[in-house]
Amino acid sequence: MGLTDLLFLALSAVAILSGWRVFATDSMVRASFLLLLSFVAVGLIIVMLAAPYIGVATVFMMAVEMMVMALFMVMFMMNPAGLNPMMMVHQHRFSIVAGVLAFAGLTAAILFTSFPKIPVDPSTPVVHDLGIELLGPSMLIFETAGVTLLATMIGSVILSSRSGRFGMADQGSRPPGLEPDGEPAGRQPEAGNGHHHHH
Amino acid sequence: MMELIAALLLLLFLSVGFAGAALVDGMLPAFLAGQSRPSWRRPIADAARLLQTQRIRTEAPDALLWFLAPVLYLALAIIGLAVIPFGPGLVTIPSEVGIVVWGSCEALTIVAVFMFGWSANAPLPLIGAYRYVAIALPAMLLSMFVLIGAALPAESLGFTEIVEAQRRVWNVVRQPAGLILFLMLGLAISLRGPFDYADPADLAGGTTADVSGPMVLAWKIARLTMLVSVSAVTATAFLGGYLGPLLPGFVWLLLKTALILVVLVGAGNFFARMPPARMMSVIWTMLLPLSFLMLLAVGVELLLWG
Repeated sequence: MGLTDLLFLALSAVAILSGWRVFATDSMVRASFLLLLSFVAVGLIIVMLAAPYIGVATVFMMAVEMMVMALFMVMFMMNPAGLNPMMMVHQHRFSIVAGVLAFAGLTAAILFTSFPKIPVDPSTPVVHDLGIELLGPSMLIFETAGVTLLATMIGSVILSSRSGRFGMADQGSRPPGLEPDGEPAGRQPEAGNGHHHHH
Repeated sequence: MMELIAALLLLLFLSVGFAGAALVDGMLPAFLAGQSRPSWRRPIADAARLLQTQRIRTEAPDALLWFLAPVLYLALAIIGLAVIPFGPGLVTIPSEVGIVVWGSCEALTIVAVFMFGWSANAPLPLIGAYRYVAIALPAMLLSMFVLIGAALPAESLGFTEIVEAQRRVWNVVRQPAGLILFLMLGLAISLRGPFDYADPADLAGGTTADVSGPMVLAWKIARLTMLVSVSAVTATAFLGGYLGPLLPGFVWLLLKTALILVVLVGAGNFFARMPPARMMSVIWTMLLPLSFLMLLAVGVELLLWG
């Protein structure tokens, strides 16, 4: 077993262990960072597979993505700053069945696929070739996926931010009452168009 | 063998750079304030004082992340510097995707700063952490577009090729505004002056409000090291890196890094911090389009005359 094998095993262990801890931790921010750690390990494995651009770009993208995800989760969940402990899993029975099925399916796919055993020639300009592929023959797929993802992100933010903490965002906010169904708490806006001078 | 020499040079660069950064950071503000001979002992005295200061802790912090944040910050500064060539073929981690590695260091730095503020479990560090992420993420976006503009003439993502492509003309001539945008990123990831939204005085120290003693010292060391790294990256991407007559490449890189470092420390003292919301609109509506324009200009130039 060479150094490469050891490194691969260590990185795989980090990826799997931190991936498991994502669901065992009690905070959204910690879960995001554990997921990030898992992705960093996977990114380094991809670098070992002679795909330096994809591997390093995975680390880069995931660092940004997990940071944004932590920020947005904290904004949308009513959990101040993500500091309160919370359960990171839900729909237990469904998730267990889905997890077991996915594991079995992927394991079967790995066992029954014949992987190529041709090591990449170190002098191959892999980054250059990938660039030509991405911005040449695969340009349309690449760009379509990018624009679709952007539209999805904007759409999901708009949809999920409509129902705000104090009512629908487009109907003006109204703080909850001090007792159930009571008058809204805080100072009441005065009648009229709001341009009053107090003396 | 070359990597080993480069690793030794990296250590030398880090030590000299760090000492220089500490001196400039300590002396330049006093010099700008009119003292003709500011004391060079201040940074050392400050470090000694911090080592002896009592340590405090907040209620129920995330001790592991709190401890790891300065370590990660320092490690990222060193990794970022390790992909910079000190001469032709003289680089510690030879990578054909150098600017992507550096980009990852930038992105993970934002994570490290957020971790530091978040794990304290206290209001001021948390506010510092959140608003830093809001400003630093778009600032990092800027820097990546600017770096792509530096990579275009080289037709490569590697720093060595980017330096070699500057033999005819430095990138600062190609995209002068790009250099200024990249300096802003330098201020942002070394938590300095107008881009220091994480631990400035208006938040009573922000992410560092509830730490003391050795932990503050560790954080300051990481910040200064990142200042050295980002200066070296700027010098490499825009000022021709190790290129220069007579002197060895390592010395040229060190001199150019020193110049950028002084400019960054000076800018940190000269320019004031805008309110975060205004800074956010400035970045998204003015600086990002400017970076697109720079990228477009470099592309058009290379298409027509490249």
